[in-house]
Amino acid sequence: MLNGLDRFFRYISLKQLIIFNVLILVLILTMIVGISKGSFDFSVLKYFTGNLTTLEEEVLVNIRFPRVLLAAVVGAALSMSGACLQGLFRNPLADPGLIGVSAGAALGAAFSIVMSAEFFPDFLFTPYLLPLSAILGSAFVISILFIITRGFGFEGMTYMLLAGIAINALAGVGIGILTYISDDAELRGLTFWTMGSFGGVTWNLIIPAIVIILSTIVWTLRISRKLDLLQLGEPEAYRLGVDIKKLRFDIIMSSAIIVGISVSLTGMIGFVGLVVPHLVRLFGGVNHHYLLACSALTGAILMVNADLLSRILIQPAELPVGLITSAIGSPFFLWLIFRMRKK
Amino acid sequence: MSIEVNNISYSIKDLQILRDVSLKIRKNEVLSLLGPNGSGKSTLLKIISGDINPKSGSVLFDDINLNNINIIDRARIRSVMSQSQDIIYDFSVKEVIEMGWLEGKEFITEKFDNALYKVGIECEISHLFDKSFNQLSGGEKRKVHFARTLIQMYNRDFETKSRYIMLDEPTANLDISHELQLINILKKKTLEGFGVFIILHDLNLAYHFSDKVAFIKEGKICAFGTPDEVFKEKILTEIYGLDVSFDNSTKKISYY
Repeated sequence: MLNGLDRFFRYISLKQLIIFNVLILVLILTMIVGISKGSFDFSVLKYFTGNLTTLEEEVLVNIRFPRVLLAAVVGAALSMSGACLQGLFRNPLADPGLIGVSAGAALGAAFSIVMSAEFFPDFLFTPYLLPLSAILGSAFVISILFIITRGFGFEGMTYMLLAGIAINALAGVGIGILTYISDDAELRGLTFWTMGSFGGVTWNLIIPAIVIILSTIVWTLRISRKLDLLQLGEPEAYRLGVDIKKLRFDIIMSSAIIVGISVSLTGMIGFVGLVVPHLVRLFGGVNHHYLLACSALTGAILMVNADLLSRILIQPAELPVGLITSAIGSPFFLWLIFRMRKK
Repeated sequence: MSIEVNNISYSIKDLQILRDVSLKIRKNEVLSLLGPNGSGKSTLLKIISGDINPKSGSVLFDDINLNNINIIDRARIRSVMSQSQDIIYDFSVKEVIEMGWLEGKEFITEKFDNALYKVGIECEISHLFDKSFNQLSGGEKRKVHFARTLIQMYNRDFETKSRYIMLDEPTANLDISHELQLINILKKKTLEGFGVFIILHDLNLAYHFSDKVAFIKEGKICAFGTPDEVFKEKILTEIYGLDVSFDNSTKKISYY
């Protein structure tokens, strides 16, 4: 077996390699800008020369750094999951938000916010129950979608979106009921969480999240070749030696983990997983080594920028970042549908 | 050196699809499978290629039971071409062919490029390599899938005793000149040591280029042998239920 890196460089073309490197560069620059700009600006360089005031250092280390890092990782996670799901379902409209995967995660998260006090009052790992039940929620939804849409072939696209509508609605009902039965403290937690933002995150929650998401992303990159083969159709991929059941399970689990953790930390952020893989395909090609890696990078870049916009557009207040991604994403979605009609 | 199919039966619920089918696909030979629609041809191919398990009976690849060969090793022994599904994303022709190239311990680019060059010339599709697969015509798509099926058997890093190609009506959508071209490539492959198992509809084509022919009807093999042994008016008439005549001087089969 080839090791991961060899294989990555084997299957991407020169043009794709250049795009990959440019994206890394842009991501670094974007993150530097993201850390420097906000309700007040300062130069990141000063941190290294030690010329920061105590206040500035406090803002930098405990607010900006974690926030920008989290935005980058969540952007990468959602885009990567979008790209993987689009490959697994062989369907360009798959997006964790549209098809209900994020809603499943949200329902799981809401469930743990409202119910954890009842069932696990003094549980040591209570902070981690939220991400965990979000992961379960999204895994459950992906499995259901898979069962519903299998055997539909190319028309599966319509059915998947319809199923997504139903699942989104169902999850909405669930969250509504949970909101109704929650007490004051739980309601505050729920509302706070539903608004979704990168603000208010702390290092002790972010570090495990970043480690898990990044390692899942790297691990998922290894299945790129199998995703390529899957595009020939499941029987063909099987004949070429791809264990379809295992591949399916791997993708469902990795998507559930990264979407679940992202949603549990930042609320629902729509359309990133739909838009980013399309952009990446538009620029450099469709093979999954390129697509997955560059979707993760592009998603990170877009999300750091969206978060920056959310902070500086209406200072000193803050827009929810989900609003910005949806404002960009939904017209894009309409355009995609329009383009399909012409085909 | 052969694939032995022993007493295969297959049914879905109460519907018996294959009954006690036995065949032998030999190295250096083309075995054509013919029969009316719905007679179980594709199901038999799926069982021999390992897609589905028979209800009873066994398939042996060079004396090893197919069930004991893992799916990665199977891909190194046999390649399969069937009615392919659409590819949704815009892969280039080269990328589609590359999907058939099996990964060994290491990926040697020169080897792949060499193999790609060869199948490109063989199938006359070199000029299509950089085009988008989805913009090709139906016939061109078939040829690209055929090239992918061929290149799968090109990687000789693997220690396999023999190699087989299985095709389910590969000539559908092809005009007569490309049909002939594809058949000639297969014929050439048998000289290189391949065993070929092919499902066909065209009786004349099957007669003229097969080494062995099997006729299947209602899930049963009703004739198996060399073309001259099985292409008898009586047998053909019985299988297809219409008057088929065989002209011994021109070796042509006609039915209208």
